[in-house]
Amino acid sequence: MTALLEVNDLVKRFPIPGSGKVVQAVNDVSLTIERGETLSLVGESGSGKTTIGRCVLGLIDPTAGQIRFDGRAMGRGRSIRARDLRGRIQLVFQEPAESLDPRMQMGETLAEPLRYLGMNRADREQRVREVAEHLGLSERMLALYPTELSAGLQQRVGIGRAIVTRPELIVLDEPTSALDPTARAEIVDLLIRLQGELGTAYLLISHDLSTVRFISHRVAVLYLGTIVEEAESERLFARPLHPYSIGLLASVLLPDPELKRSSSISLEGEIPSPIDLPPGCPLAGRCPFADARCHKERPPVVSVGPRHLVGCFHHDRVAALDQTIDQFARFQEESNRLLSVGAD
Amino acid sequence: MPILRYIGRRVLFVIPQLFGIILVSFFLVKLIPGDPAVMMLGPTASTQSIAELRDKLGLSKPLITQFGRYLHDVARGDLGTSWQTTRPVTEDLFQRFPATLELITLGLLVALAIGFPLGVAAARRRRGPIRKFADYYGLLAGALPDFWLALVLIYVFYTALGWIPAPLGRIDMAVVPPPTVTGSLVIDSLIAGNLAALASSLGHLLLPVLTLGLINAGPILKMTQSTVERTLSSDFIRYAEMCGLPRRVVLRQAVRAALPSVLTIVSVLYGFLIGGAVLVEIVFSWGGAGQYAVQGVLNADVNPVLGFVVFSAVLSLVIYLVVDLLYFALDPRMRG
Amino acid sequence: MSGEDLILDVADLWVAFPSYRAAPVHALKGVDLQIAPGAMIGLVGESGSGKTTLARAIMGLVPPPGVVERGRVLFAGKDLRRMDAEARRHLLGREIAMVIPNPRAELNPVIPVGRQIANVVFHHLGVSRKEATGVALDMLRAVRIPDPERRLNAYPHELSGGMAQRVVIAIALACSPKLVISDDATSGLDVTVQAQVLDLLRSMVQEKGAATLFITRDVAITAHFCTRIAVIYAGQLVEMADTRAFFARPAHPYSIMLLAAFSHNPALRARWTRAAGEIADAAGEGCAFAQRCVRRQPRCLTDIPTLRAIAPGHLARCHYPVEERQ
Repeated sequence: MTALLEVNDLVKRFPIPGSGKVVQAVNDVSLTIERGETLSLVGESGSGKTTIGRCVLGLIDPTAGQIRFDGRAMGRGRSIRARDLRGRIQLVFQEPAESLDPRMQMGETLAEPLRYLGMNRADREQRVREVAEHLGLSERMLALYPTELSAGLQQRVGIGRAIVTRPELIVLDEPTSALDPTARAEIVDLLIRLQGELGTAYLLISHDLSTVRFISHRVAVLYLGTIVEEAESERLFARPLHPYSIGLLASVLLPDPELKRSSSISLEGEIPSPIDLPPGCPLAGRCPFADARCHKERPPVVSVGPRHLVGCFHHDRVAALDQTIDQFARFQEESNRLLSVGAD
Repeated sequence: MPILRYIGRRVLFVIPQLFGIILVSFFLVKLIPGDPAVMMLGPTASTQSIAELRDKLGLSKPLITQFGRYLHDVARGDLGTSWQTTRPVTEDLFQRFPATLELITLGLLVALAIGFPLGVAAARRRRGPIRKFADYYGLLAGALPDFWLALVLIYVFYTALGWIPAPLGRIDMAVVPPPTVTGSLVIDSLIAGNLAALASSLGHLLLPVLTLGLINAGPILKMTQSTVERTLSSDFIRYAEMCGLPRRVVLRQAVRAALPSVLTIVSVLYGFLIGGAVLVEIVFSWGGAGQYAVQGVLNADVNPVLGFVVFSAVLSLVIYLVVDLLYFALDPRMRG
Repeated sequence: MSGEDLILDVADLWVAFPSYRAAPVHALKGVDLQIAPGAMIGLVGESGSGKTTLARAIMGLVPPPGVVERGRVLFAGKDLRRMDAEARRHLLGREIAMVIPNPRAELNPVIPVGRQIANVVFHHLGVSRKEATGVALDMLRAVRIPDPERRLNAYPHELSGGMAQRVVIAIALACSPKLVISDDATSGLDVTVQAQVLDLLRSMVQEKGAATLFITRDVAITAHFCTRIAVIYAGQLVEMADTRAFFARPAHPYSIMLLAAFSHNPALRARWTRAAGEIADAAGEGCAFAQRCVRRQPRCLTDIPTLRAIAPGHLARCHYPVEERQ
């Protein structure tokens, strides 16, 4: 059986007009998503995660490489707007307030995508009622306008608008980063519940690792347009093997003063500009493990365990370090203790 | 040097722009009712002599041929001859444009001197007498026609008080004008060291400049006020306040940020006034370019009208280029 | 601690925003907050909780049409509300400094960053322009901006978000203030950059011996950067405790709800969160949090709770704080 989404050796370059320079946004990225699965792309700004998302949607054409959705190629004029794909891939945006039409009631917003599927009015209303039930939105809320809702509720509607066509894949572009933590948690719960009920696959694009860990089956860590590590979520968070993954995880702050940000690897400086990248490992300039070879050769992506890929010459040295405590797991234990008392 | 390349590209782009402007205005001018040949020969001319003149002027040829010939002439710097003045249009315009430019340049400087500080002062306080005055001033300046204000000023300062010379032309008949260098009488008198001519030309400039200044201060005032108000409540001004910078420093930063918008409105007004000051020119018998073009329109004298359009277009393009370069200087985000 | 020893002593501060044809909306409803010299207080609240208004009210810069209705703001013993605007302006930037979010929009876009630092130094410390520029360069070095001589002449749009935030920290600390207010200072930054900027801010503040009011919507940050935590909800402080005590034994249901947002256990999280559909509109007469509270009792809808000590140094505004733990 073919994977729902297959991306092979994707390359995307943006020439900068008049300068002869090129932004190397995405470099040889391959990934797959099975039906009902969540793959997260994590990385900082400039890592190319949003560009990959837009290529997957067919909104921009890749410079090289193939994207196959359900066995058929995307791109080259075939996007989510193509007749046979309509409604099968959906998108949720980062800023709910900006992605909703301020003059449309929530019910209308939810019904909007169905118009393009040529569904009649009665069917549309029926479907909107079903979706409202999934979202936990009351009849009264469907009559409200976006400005009358909190950011969390707005994003709930944004997700509703995506699931209303019963898509097989939803691309979630930073769906929680504009929200307060409590609203973020509600959205994460909703996404997990919806996946359980509807079997939708997610491509989650995010820099928010707390959200990612919770929701993903697999995680791909992107740095300067390259996947430096990919593994199942639990495994990646418990035992990251790429120095960048470790630095990224160590930067996450959890609400527990006892969990010191302990890590023998700290990343110096900032992500460099993706214009005219030098040869060699993209992290070489910031990495404490880097040697002469890292600056000259690009490390190959190798398999280091079941479905665990890493692109680092020194991953065995990284693995030998005794630094990897899964602070997320420790926090979870503490948090379970804390939340178990006192309610009801 | 990106800036030199930018200017080069802009200048190159002037050619197609100019072509477009001439194309449109040529055919529009041809739509003006009235046959130049009939106008030139008068109502008593015979049909045959009219036909002959038409042939001579090239008016019997197809429009497209006429247009081609006109373009050809323009490319060589020949804008044809005006049958009213019987002089080459280029010569006429070189004499008349400086008169208009002197008038509107000084007029806009006065407008800026009134409108800008008043706008800044009004933006600082949402209430109070200055704000109220600025509101009424803006309203009044927008509502009053400039020629009416000119007539009132003439009545008060010339007819009633007799403080200024007669509103006829740019200099007293009795005063010998300085030799033409720039075309601006003020500058030329200074070059020639001719104080009598300087005093007389300044005296004649006073009322028309004041008219244009008082009227055009209105839009400048409004634009300054609204932009400074907006920048005063912008994020970086709020931050400057949080940093405890003195009020005048904060205000200066806000005014500085408002300059590009003020520059925009001034450049738009300048472009507009090249032709738009015509009523003021007529009231003061200024002999400017706008007046010249209007006479051309009224008498089916095609060449002055087209010549005026070409001149104004080139001038506007130059103004916009200068303005863009000023934006460059004012906003570092534009250089990049 | 007596009033004179405190850097900041806010008492019963009320801020109202008049609304058209309706009762004014209170952004702050009687806030009391004390900050000792050198302390780092974390003020946690969600959007609309009043946390930014509190920062602005301390500085005397409540955005119009908002008004401070009553209350007292003492800074190092001086009453800021009774001070005239000019005297207060001399304190801002020099003794009370602000670290803002989104610096690329809040720094002046047409002035080089070195000059923006030097301006604050020049106007507050009475030094020459040249000396002020020297201080600016030292500050750029101190906040570890690479190539500081060149960056002196850079414009804000030429800097990354992280670099611009470092410039803001440089401006804040250039005059060695007694109090630094940081308002959601790292919300727009990537995680690795956020960690770097927070580390920098803490080390700079400690070096200068300033007290910090660290305002954020992310309770996780405060766990690692603050000595004491205050939680604000609907314009009122609902809990205040030292950091360890707060995270080990949070007492207010709202605080626990904030912490639960980080839990990966949906069932436990659901115990502390009311579904969006269940939340009623009106706050009613009682506790402001009652409508969202999972532990609400009849009394919560009628009686307004006061902020009271439930343990030494641990305050909570709740009739039924979560106390027993094991």
